[in-house]
Amino acid sequence: MSFDVFRDVAKPIVSGFGITARRLKADKVTVQYPEERREQFPRTRWRHVLTRYDSGLERCIGCSLCAGACPAKCIYVEAAENTDEARFSPGERYSHRYEINMLRCIFCGYCQDACPTGAIVLRQDFELANYEREDFIYTKEMLLEPIR
Amino acid sequence: MAAAVSTETVNITVNDIELVVPKGELVVEAVKRLGLEIPIFCYHPRLKPVGMCRMCLVEVGFKQPDGTVRKMPKPQAGCTLPVSEGMAVYTDTDAVKRDRKGVLEFLLANHPLDCPICDRGGECPLQNNTLAYGPSTSRFVEMKRHLPKAYPLSQYVTLDLERCIQCGRCVRFTEEISGDSQLAFRFRGASMQPSTFQLTDFESKFSGNVIEICPVGALTSAKYRFRARPWDLQTSPGICTVTPCGTNIWFDHRSGKFVRVNGRTNEGVNEEWTCDRTKFGHDFYNAADRLATPFRRDGEAFNAASWSEASQAVLAAFADGGEGVAVLVSPTLSNESLFMTQRLVRDTFKTNNIDFRPSGGLAWSERLENKYGLDPVGGTIADLEHAGSILVFGASLADEQPMTFLRVRKAWFSHGARVVVAHEVATEADSFADVVLRYNPGSAAVVAAGLRQLLAKVEGKFTPEHVESVSGVPADKLRAAAASLGENGAVVTTRRLAKPAAEILAVAAHETGRTFLHMGPHANTEGAAALGALPDTLPGGVKAETAGLDTKGILDAAAAGKLKALWLVGVDAFSLGDRDLVSRALENVETLVVTDYRPTESAEYASWLLPLALPAEQDGTYTSSERRVQHMGAILQAPGEARAQWQVAQELAARSGAAPVFSTSEVRSLIDSVAPDYASLTMAKVIDGGELLPRRGQSPHDLEKLAQTLGGL
Amino acid sequence: MAERKLLLEHAHDPAYATLDGYLAKGGYAGLKKALAGERQAVIDEIKASGLRGRGGAGFPTWIKWNGITKDKKGPHYLICNADEGEPGTFKDKQLLEQTPFLLVEGMTIAAWATQSDRGYVYIRGEFVDAARALRKAIDQAYAAGYLGKNIQGSGMDFDLYIHLGAGSYECGEESALMSSLMGERGMPRLKFPHVPLPTVAGLWEKPTIINNVETYSCAPFILANGGEEYAKLGASTKNSRGTKLFSVSGHVNKPGNYEIEFGTTLMELLDMAGGMKGGALKACVPGGSSVPIINAEDCGRAVLAYEEMSEVKSMVGSGGCMFLNEHTCIVSFIWRTSLFYANESCGKCTPCREGTKWMEQILRRIVMGNGQPGDVETLKEICSQIDGRSFCGLGDAAAWPVAAALRVFPEEFEFYIKHGRSMVTSGESVAMAPAWQQAVLA
Repeated sequence: MSFDVFRDVAKPIVSGFGITARRLKADKVTVQYPEERREQFPRTRWRHVLTRYDSGLERCIGCSLCAGACPAKCIYVEAAENTDEARFSPGERYSHRYEINMLRCIFCGYCQDACPTGAIVLRQDFELANYEREDFIYTKEMLLEPIR
Repeated sequence: MAAAVSTETVNITVNDIELVVPKGELVVEAVKRLGLEIPIFCYHPRLKPVGMCRMCLVEVGFKQPDGTVRKMPKPQAGCTLPVSEGMAVYTDTDAVKRDRKGVLEFLLANHPLDCPICDRGGECPLQNNTLAYGPSTSRFVEMKRHLPKAYPLSQYVTLDLERCIQCGRCVRFTEEISGDSQLAFRFRGASMQPSTFQLTDFESKFSGNVIEICPVGALTSAKYRFRARPWDLQTSPGICTVTPCGTNIWFDHRSGKFVRVNGRTNEGVNEEWTCDRTKFGHDFYNAADRLATPFRRDGEAFNAASWSEASQAVLAAFADGGEGVAVLVSPTLSNESLFMTQRLVRDTFKTNNIDFRPSGGLAWSERLENKYGLDPVGGTIADLEHAGSILVFGASLADEQPMTFLRVRKAWFSHGARVVVAHEVATEADSFADVVLRYNPGSAAVVAAGLRQLLAKVEGKFTPEHVESVSGVPADKLRAAAASLGENGAVVTTRRLAKPAAEILAVAAHETGRTFLHMGPHANTEGAAALGALPDTLPGGVKAETAGLDTKGILDAAAAGKLKALWLVGVDAFSLGDRDLVSRALENVETLVVTDYRPTESAEYASWLLPLALPAEQDGTYTSSERRVQHMGAILQAPGEARAQWQVAQELAARSGAAPVFSTSEVRSLIDSVAPDYASLTMAKVIDGGELLPRRGQSPHDLEKLAQTLGGL
Repeated sequence: MAERKLLLEHAHDPAYATLDGYLAKGGYAGLKKALAGERQAVIDEIKASGLRGRGGAGFPTWIKWNGITKDKKGPHYLICNADEGEPGTFKDKQLLEQTPFLLVEGMTIAAWATQSDRGYVYIRGEFVDAARALRKAIDQAYAAGYLGKNIQGSGMDFDLYIHLGAGSYECGEESALMSSLMGERGMPRLKFPHVPLPTVAGLWEKPTIINNVETYSCAPFILANGGEEYAKLGASTKNSRGTKLFSVSGHVNKPGNYEIEFGTTLMELLDMAGGMKGGALKACVPGGSSVPIINAEDCGRAVLAYEEMSEVKSMVGSGGCMFLNEHTCIVSFIWRTSLFYANESCGKCTPCREGTKWMEQILRRIVMGNGQPGDVETLKEICSQIDGRSFCGLGDAAAWPVAAALRVFPEEFEFYIKHGRSMVTSGESVAMAPAWQQAVLA
């Protein structure tokens, strides 16, 4: 077959620009991150949050079930006893240390499943990048929801 | 307890599978032979069966002559029913499953579902049985029982009454095993609760065991409270080094930190029990002031130094020191550490000034052996169980030898042994003793002589009346004690007993054919003695050509300024008594080296402070008070640069020219080459349950020397 | 049939509680006969009489007595169960207070037959008067040589002791009674086939006979008049011989103890007690609170004898016969019964400890007007989970009345649950209800 400049070069280029030109009228799929953010699905599972009751008390009772359920073994819980002077959660026990190694976490959500009080939940904050490896150890203070 | 199991067998069927089992065995035990399980709560193999919880209900029938099975109208408790000929047991019929569901529903009706915060959660028999056999939901909609939570029963045991399922294991333990009967049920029916009688403190020397046998989280450890969940823990087999018994333990740790101790089964030693010293006395692993590097004294301050500096300094002070240097070692160090240390002392320091004994005046087995040729540890703890009679002399066994105490009590409780207790003060063993001989302080030897005279039926001046006049023990009581002890049995005493009394007892036991147990006070007393940590004895019991100084001699020499250097390995000299002498000794020594896991009082005088790895942080073997050699591997990592004593000793030796030793197994082969007793051990057995050193056997000689001792009284 | 008084013949006579009065009415004839003969002859006589345990279970007495070893090695013990705690039963109280010598003689006869050295009468703690009466009788018997060493020159030694209980229904259960007697907590012990029978290893692991007051009290008559004579009574029944005391209570005109021959009908007993009071017969608990309740129709055909009572799905039990009239609310009645068992459960085994409490909680809720659909089914399930699963008979005894009431009067429970009030709302029933309940009903 012989080579034809119009058929083999000019026409494809023109029709290609044609597709682009037609698309210019349609809505954009991409967003201007970070100025713009796309809405997350309601069940998106990203960064963990330790929630509180309306009273401001922590839900976490330091039971370590999340640590037991975690397939990546990235949760470390140390419990302590509530006293009347220093009360963190209802009942006898609260988590004194609660750490998640985000480098290991696979965001499977098993911890949320295992939690008997609904304390640990995976929410929609996905911006987890950081510069130092140490900073990926999320402590209880970082995970805990602020008092509303 | 498997009731009275005889050798006679009976034919039974379990779920229509035929089985031959010993007559009288309990159904719950018999089905285990098929690998089946009957769920239980109140039943415990070492306690008398009571049939309280009804969890073990099974259908039971009897084979009729025509081959059919006639079932009993009611389900039977498998934990109390002994098997008999032709019995047919069904463990998984619909009716049995329904009964189990019913019992679990009842138990859970008032049991709080606070498993997430319960220390038992994850290793809880109630959880396990509920998961395996229980109903999925509860129909209980009434108000649950509300009772005090986390009531401190003692400084060790916390009681949560809401969680209690009234199985009575704890109550029966204190009645049957420990014998202090501290716990009992109060009130009745649904309000029944176990506690001490007047809600007093739970003062038992074995209280920790009730935590382990509690099938729910009603009794929990105050020390372990909220420390970890079972799945957070790693566990390793270990042995207790704070008591002399060689108690087998599970050493639970988390992220490299010691967490708790549980009993590990060893039928020969502790069965499955622990004493409170073992269970709650291991906190020193987490001491805040653990030493992690060697320290050099610079004026008033201690400054961190390196091991190589430390080694050079120690060598400079001790090498070829001869009579001018001395070493005191702790009898809780491992066999390997003790052996390497004594080798260093003898080969490199060129002295025999090494001792592990608190002071020179106590009765020590090697002396007994040398003097009379009698084996001071002529039996094992397990032997006591079947002794017809047991004389406990001059010892508070529950404090000094807790596991021996439990075995003596078991001998009495389960096998009807007659026990005679002789001691200056009241002891736990008095509660079950046939006769209690309470003698005046200092008159132990006279009482021993009086007993010997009665038991061995020899003539002498120690008539019961004479004994009464000296010791205050009524003559009738002494006669009653001799009558109760009968013709054979065992004599148990400890090394805390003054020497003449121990000698007399040893000879008396030999004369009347009794087992004699003369038990040492520390985890490795026997190893220290057998492996030459003594001024006059080399490993293997060989006599040293010239005896060095013993503890007292060393301290005296140091106080007199005759010692250039003194090394305390794991010993706080101030714990030896006579503080005045000790402080003078430590002040007058030119170079004092202290090796310990934390700064002790003696460390304040030290020129060098060396960090010591604790037993669970190193591989090692230990010889318990019944001469059982047991092994504990390195479970934790020693903090920082802390080292095992054998490593320190070998480095010093190597620096002065000896062949280096790289591992404990090499040390053990060195031990084997000089101590034939240890050479006969198989490491596999030592690791698995421990192996007893060969019995030395009795080769009595010079028994007439006793007359001298007696004459001196 | 009319009353047939063997035990209560002289009960009205205060002198009968003294030794002289007792001897005057022919007392101790039975013992004399027994001592004159062989030990085995006594047991044979009891066997011929067909005497069965009067405490509730109806176990043939001679089998117990015969089961004790003839080849005596250590001490044998004799226990009299006088811990009469069953609600509705008060026969032993009268026997102890008015005819104590029947018991003393009966026990001495039993001691002779079984070579027992010591007897213990375990009396319910509240029966102080009964204990005093028995104490007097025992003192007199000792003084006259009917107890103690060498009784009546026979060479037999027998000591009798009184032990007062401390207020636990459970201690009427024979093994719990033995625990209590030994100074332990009043909890039942393992029983055959888990451990040997008490006749082999009972009190302090020694051979032991334990019987009810009434059972022992029958022995003097049987020995004096012969077993055959005794067996003639109640011959109309399948296997019940002799007489039985029934403690009649409830809505009757003349409550009290009535001694009747086995085979008497329940209605005849009601007639003896003067008929119903305040309304027509609605139901009857014929043998103490633990036996199943029966309705009026079954009352009409109930014959008082061990086997015959099972035809109306009930039992003779200990003979505490409670008649209830038409104004009785069965739900409240059963709640009160189950409250008793929940209080009296010793706590040893799970089904009884938790089950009785749970039943009581549900019934209380129903009575308070907060019943829920499904409660009846739950109650039935709980009953079946207790019955036969508990350690001792107390669990069964707690489950039977509830199960029977649910079976016999289901409509009352359903009504109460549906409407939150009792089906029986006549003025009389309200008057009989406790104050708080009246408030609920109003």
